[in-house]
Amino acid sequence: MIVLGIESSCDETAAAVVDGDRRILSNIIFSQLEEHRPYGGVVPEIAARSHLDHIDGIVERAINEAGVTFSDLDGIAATGGPGLIGGVLVGMMTAKAIALVHNLPLIAVNHLEGHALSARLAADVSFPYLLLLVSGGHCELLAVEGPGQYTRYGGTLDDAVGEAFDKTAKLLGLPYPGGPSVEKAARNGDPRRFAFPRPMRGRDDCDFSFSGLKTAVSRTIANLDTLSESDVADAAASFQIAAAEVLVDRAQHAIDRFRLEHGPNGTLVVAGGVAANGTIRESLTALAAETGFRFVAPPPALCTDNAAMIAWAGVERLGLGLTDDLSFIPRPRWPLAELKQRIAS
Amino acid sequence: MIKTTILALDSATDACSVALWRDGSLAAHRFEARRHGQAEILMPMVRDVMQESAQEFKTLDGIATTVGPGGFTGLRIGLASARAMALAAGVPIVGLTTLEVVAAAQPERSGPLLVAIDSRRSDVYVQLFSPEREPASLPMAIMPGLVESILPGGPIVVAGNAAETVLQALQQTDVSLSNGPALPDAAVLARIVASRIAPFQTDLEPPAPLYLRPPDAKLPIEKQA
Repeated sequence: MIVLGIESSCDETAAAVVDGDRRILSNIIFSQLEEHRPYGGVVPEIAARSHLDHIDGIVERAINEAGVTFSDLDGIAATGGPGLIGGVLVGMMTAKAIALVHNLPLIAVNHLEGHALSARLAADVSFPYLLLLVSGGHCELLAVEGPGQYTRYGGTLDDAVGEAFDKTAKLLGLPYPGGPSVEKAARNGDPRRFAFPRPMRGRDDCDFSFSGLKTAVSRTIANLDTLSESDVADAAASFQIAAAEVLVDRAQHAIDRFRLEHGPNGTLVVAGGVAANGTIRESLTALAAETGFRFVAPPPALCTDNAAMIAWAGVERLGLGLTDDLSFIPRPRWPLAELKQRIAS
Repeated sequence: MIKTTILALDSATDACSVALWRDGSLAAHRFEARRHGQAEILMPMVRDVMQESAQEFKTLDGIATTVGPGGFTGLRIGLASARAMALAAGVPIVGLTTLEVVAAAQPERSGPLLVAIDSRRSDVYVQLFSPEREPASLPMAIMPGLVESILPGGPIVVAGNAAETVLQALQQTDVSLSNGPALPDAAVLARIVASRIAPFQTDLEPPAPLYLRPPDAKLPIEKQA
């Protein structure tokens, strides 16, 4: 089975070809980073325009680099949401057009499901598993029982963890995008210099909160007379370790619940853009070792937004006969838990 | 090019339409006036038109699409679809403006024509056309109150879905509302393209969108000025 995947829900225009044996035949990403950098964040209309300008060329490259033709494909998958709707529409219409011309099944993939199933593209992981999904827009713990089968254990009450990284970067005057900048600055910093809070730690659920952590960073910086390079490094390192410890604590609770529901041995998967952070990966590796869980983190290139994960989710859904109509309406908001109802109905 | 086979589509303004032109006439056609939801109905319309005319994509001579101006979302829906179909079918593609398509649809040919398309903001998208319906100005975004300043003087007919807005803002008396269609239609688009001597030039870049307005984006305060 060979599936073309298209991703355009944020600031990456991407297309990839993946087969049913977990081979990534091509994986093309055009980053719009430079177009958004002057604005310090993604501008939706700029993103939508850029997606339209590039998407057909990116798809053509993905097909050519994979060494296939459109008629070799078994399905066309594209992100159908959640995300910036202007971009999602461009990708989805591109997918619908190719599906219609070559009479192929269309698979509208939930972007979060793309992240959620990416571990199964990167490694041999069977259902069910525990998923920590961490990105700029999402922060959730879920039990993944199968494609479209998600039980939400908890999520953020305010900011996503990636958002906290971005805001901290802004406060510290670090360049956009914030996640990699904070990680880089933290390398030379002392993580014990500032005692930032660990919101929600010890609470008997699997929810997150990051707004208090961001506020603490803001207050600490305001109290410093000047912000030296070492202050920035120490603040970045102290923030990063606080965020990592919160994720570990919340994941610990989720492991406890997962054990009750699915037995003592399990797999902890981390996915999403923040999963590319080295400190967070190390902390979760240690947690998995302590609890006897297997730990799987897709390589960083499959954690940040990409189309290989969308193509793979397409492979998984197509295998179950879960396809979509040409009238599919992209969804700016589309929680993973709603996939279950869609299958059930 | 009487024998040209063209698939044409438009979703850039307040309508969604698809047409299949073959052997000098319309083989199949769908038109629906609607301001939103083109993403839902456009591809099923294309499927229906292709099925009804028993036309295969790979034997098309080319695909024609509008490129705007119009609603940003709608024009991207049409243009992304058309460009992807051209890529997938391996056929050439050509783009025309919504203003050209509306101009060509007006029956009145005695004098100059102004086409005005709703921008969904306070301004309007306009273009002047000669009595022969050749472009007499560039397409532009302009406040209705300033339209008068670009008019040639003398009697003029106004068409398009912002024609009433423009008419209300004009002081001069020798202006009239066209009795032709106010919205672009893929059937007209197909007919224009088919009437050209060389409708599809394959060595060109795919058609680009015509927004007539920069994206809404504010630079951070320290980067302004």
